[in-house]
Amino acid sequence: MYGRRASQLLKDLSTNEPGQLSSFDTDAFDQVIKECDAHHIELQGMMRKIQEEGLDIQTTRNADHYGAVIHHLALIRNKRCLMAYVYNRAEVIQSLRWKVGAVLPQEVQQKVNYSEEEYFKNHSAALESYMSEMEVDLTVDMVPPKDPYIKVRVLDDIGDVFLSDQSPNLARHSIHFLKRTDAELFISQGLMEELPS
Amino acid sequence: MASYYDIDDIIMEDELISTVFQIGANGVGMLDPGAERNCVEQGAKVELPFWLAHELHLRQAVAVTVPPCFNQKTRKEIQADAACVDLKSRCSYFYELGCKVAPLIGDRTIGSFLLYAFTGRYKEVLSKAHSAAFIMAPKFLTLLTKEETRLYEAARSSMTAFKKWRVGGPRFERASILRKRKPTD
Repeated sequence: MYGRRASQLLKDLSTNEPGQLSSFDTDAFDQVIKECDAHHIELQGMMRKIQEEGLDIQTTRNADHYGAVIHHLALIRNKRCLMAYVYNRAEVIQSLRWKVGAVLPQEVQQKVNYSEEEYFKNHSAALESYMSEMEVDLTVDMVPPKDPYIKVRVLDDIGDVFLSDQSPNLARHSIHFLKRTDAELFISQGLMEELPS
Repeated sequence: MASYYDIDDIIMEDELISTVFQIGANGVGMLDPGAERNCVEQGAKVELPFWLAHELHLRQAVAVTVPPCFNQKTRKEIQADAACVDLKSRCSYFYELGCKVAPLIGDRTIGSFLLYAFTGRYKEVLSKAHSAAFIMAPKFLTLLTKEETRLYEAARSSMTAFKKWRVGGPRFERASILRKRKPTD
């Protein structure tokens, strides 16, 4: 059936949990593009046939016309599926910048293709230049703050870091009292956890 | 009108609808498994996905028949006890498809039928979401359409969020995209 593979691509995408990403399905994607090409060739063939029979292509409503219409519709349908696949993945990738910072984690990096990685970098750069112009970090305080400081436990060896008001040694299992805005990125990257204060 | 990129809308339009071709069409033999040549004959009965059936119907090339999930039998079952009918196996996009099909077949009763089915089942979905133990849920969930499942999840997650808020505790979380790290020690 026409368009079956394309919608399968989207069904696979929709089985992901919201906000999750699976590997870019290059095989299926390319196959759908090939299907589109095949539809295009059929479509052109039929249009040519109508013209060769000396009929007016605008008003003819014969079997060839409807065959061409069906191929045309299938092509448009495939296009919509492909666009939606790319678009919805791009949305997730864009949201990653806000969650895990300017560098893609290793496990995500394997799942995106080249242009998606470029998209992430460019989105990141655009956001960065805007934030430096405005002199405000938009990616912190995603949860309304109650207190400027929070208690955190370090889950992984991070080492010495310079934060805005102190430079603690973040050894594993050590507990610190940090500025929320400093701790936020570490927590979302899974390197720290927040403790009830 | 759903968004062009809406995944659910796209998958919903893949539902099969049985149609009768009013004209012939060349070069599309793949649509009709019984076709001898590479074409669909006039009068052939073919199952088409909604996206194709809809457009061809607008061009008066096919006649659309009512999908089985809106037939009299289903209506009777819904009238008897709406909440117990297995709509998922009939059509997991029952309401969405209904809304799109109704204008095609010009059946005015479909709208009120959908509304009746939804209101009857909505109450059940919400009360189950709040009360049923988690182990009980899977059996009930298999009856729900996509939209109802979403409502059910929404009710559940708002309940968990409320409980979490009441208890307090950490509000920052690791980004959900990262795998759960195994304790290394």
